Amino acid sequence: MIRPALLRFALLAGCLFSTAIQAKEVQLFNDKGFWSAPLQAVANAARTDGISLKISPYANAEQYKTFIQASVASGRTPELFTWWTGASLNTLAATGQLAPLDALWKEMEADGRFQPGVKELFSVGGQPYAVPLQLSRWVVLYDKRVFARLGLKPPSNWAELQTVAARIKAAGQTPFLATTQDGWRGFIWFQELLLRTDPKAYVGLNNGSVAYDSPAVRKVFSIWADMYAKGWFSDPRSNEEINDFVRGKGVMYLFGDWAVGLLGKAGFPLKELGVFILPNAPGVQQPAIIVEGAPIVVSRKGAANPDVMKTLRFWVSNQGAQTWGKASGNYIGNNKIAAPNAIVSQVNAQLAQTRHAMFLRWWEGVPTALQGEMVAEFNRFMLKPDMNTTQNVMQRMQSLNAAYWSKRKKS
Amino acid sequence: MNPLLQHDQQLLARIGLAQIKARERARQGRQFRLALRFMAPALLLVTALLLLPVLYNIWLSFTQWQLFEGRDEFAGWENYHQLWSSPYFDDALGNTALWVVASVLFPLTAGLGLALLFRQMPGQEWFKSIIFLPRILAPTAVGVMWYYVYAPQGMLNQMLGQFTSMPVETGWLFEEQLVTPAIILTFVWQSCGLVMVLLLLGLAALPRDPLDAARMDGARPWQVFRHITLPLLAPTLLMVVILSVLAGFTVFDLLWVMGANYPQQRTLSLAVFMYFEAFQKNSWAFAAATAVVIGGVVLAVTWLQTLLQARVDRMVR
Repeated sequence: MIRPALLRFALLAGCLFSTAIQAKEVQLFNDKGFWSAPLQAVANAARTDGISLKISPYANAEQYKTFIQASVASGRTPELFTWWTGASLNTLAATGQLAPLDALWKEMEADGRFQPGVKELFSVGGQPYAVPLQLSRWVVLYDKRVFARLGLKPPSNWAELQTVAARIKAAGQTPFLATTQDGWRGFIWFQELLLRTDPKAYVGLNNGSVAYDSPAVRKVFSIWADMYAKGWFSDPRSNEEINDFVRGKGVMYLFGDWAVGLLGKAGFPLKELGVFILPNAPGVQQPAIIVEGAPIVVSRKGAANPDVMKTLRFWVSNQGAQTWGKASGNYIGNNKIAAPNAIVSQVNAQLAQTRHAMFLRWWEGVPTALQGEMVAEFNRFMLKPDMNTTQNVMQRMQSLNAAYWSKRKKS
Repeated sequence: MNPLLQHDQQLLARIGLAQIKARERARQGRQFRLALRFMAPALLLVTALLLLPVLYNIWLSFTQWQLFEGRDEFAGWENYHQLWSSPYFDDALGNTALWVVASVLFPLTAGLGLALLFRQMPGQEWFKSIIFLPRILAPTAVGVMWYYVYAPQGMLNQMLGQFTSMPVETGWLFEEQLVTPAIILTFVWQSCGLVMVLLLLGLAALPRDPLDAARMDGARPWQVFRHITLPLLAPTLLMVVILSVLAGFTVFDLLWVMGANYPQQRTLSLAVFMYFEAFQKNSWAFAAATAVVIGGVVLAVTWLQTLLQARVDRMVR
């Protein structure tokens, strides 16, 4: 009689003990279903450190945003989840439900893993609230073979950029690839031209101090329209941008360096891919680069959970970043490990050589309520880049912008 | 008072009118309570899943519901004022009206024509199956397929190019004047099969006698169709019209997929406009006001259809 009872007790104790030493599962909520496999690779690697990470993706960004908003509004914010930088992060941090991550960033910067400047992209009011899921720099990718054939070098100033484009056009090819694919790409050339011609206006545009029909914006549209008139851009109506680059429909491709993986997958020989940072227009001295950061944030409840913080530490560790980089081709800013590809490595080298001011993408910088309508106007311009459209686009953008900021001031 | 009526009342008073009435009221009360018990699950579901959300949506449309905070301060008619002054709302409303008219007119005309054509045609089953086939495809799949048909280098432009012997690169889904008609054409292609089947069923159920009588009286085919077939088919036609109107108001998938790269996608219909406001701009209260307007318009149209239905029923009887 005693023996079965003892056996049952031993089994029960064993179960309790094993539960006690096993880490509790941590869920990473995200809207990056397309990265499920690489995220799972990180989760698998984390298991060796006793971390149980479950990847919980949502099918689309709208559903995901609604889920997070409802969770925050009901006080049940998930412990660990991905979000967006810029205006979206500001709004989320303003709810007071995010945990500041000063201590973690101190560790990350102390051993030189992350360069100063990266933290600011994930901060609100000087306080870091996130770690990078991805850190991408917006650069010009180009086909080295065409450059070699035409005897061209990556441009180092505005005049050289014009010459390179003119030479490519004269050789019968289209210099720049730019489309309105998926409805969001319209801002890419606008943000870059504004940053290169007037960095102060670039910042002012996103805080309401510069109007969308101001001389700075007018100048950008004029340059942009002129480039279109010269036939420097590809057909904006294409829905196959990546494949278009592979097919040679544009020789230079202004995009985030995360496109490298997509180009490789589409069959572009990556050894033939070159990169340069778009040069500044005359009169603009400070080298600058546009960056895009996807953040992982932690709720206050999550910060109090040691398993969540252990998971986050693993993510930014060399092992975590390396696994993520290898599996997804994404860079998170950890410089102690090998870059995930040659392009990222070259950009890192260039940034190490010359200090560049980092500017958040227009998309993240502009208030969320304006994003969609504004980008639609940029797309409208790209589809019909004439003076009438330019005037109309600027007027409509400014009317939306003014309405937003006046309402905000009132509230 | 009429002496006969006075007599009746006196008689009823003698046998206890009040008692009879009370007994009748009690019986009706018992029946109502019993019916209520049977209806309770359905009432509960309709209230919880339909009425309460609708009422909440109406309330939301009068607030300034804030992102994350969910603050629901009363804002009066502000969202509605904002709606009328939105540069996109007028276009969205106009396009929705166009959709409603087009989704009734074209599938009905095409469906009726096909139904009359195939009614007595040998091998009609094959043709009917082929025409009905698009209906069983998911609208999203249809949208993707037609997106490529309409692409600048797509099938349609290639065909036009061969026909005109000139390169054609029209952006059917990028031009303001072309995008809505192009998507409507896809809608008609997908929906006329169902309309055809419904009308074929209606035609098959028509009584033979009036048709035979008209023919014997020397009526020509057009006269038979105009004065006999069409009035008898009116109930089926009305049902098709109701279904088409609702489809016109609620079409979303095709516009979402095919209009993805059209810069003013939000103006393609009120449903798309509402989706943008709610899920892209997070203007929940404003989107709620849009939903109330859509609901109001649909209710008004449905009420008109109900009146029409009653009239048609009377006419057929």
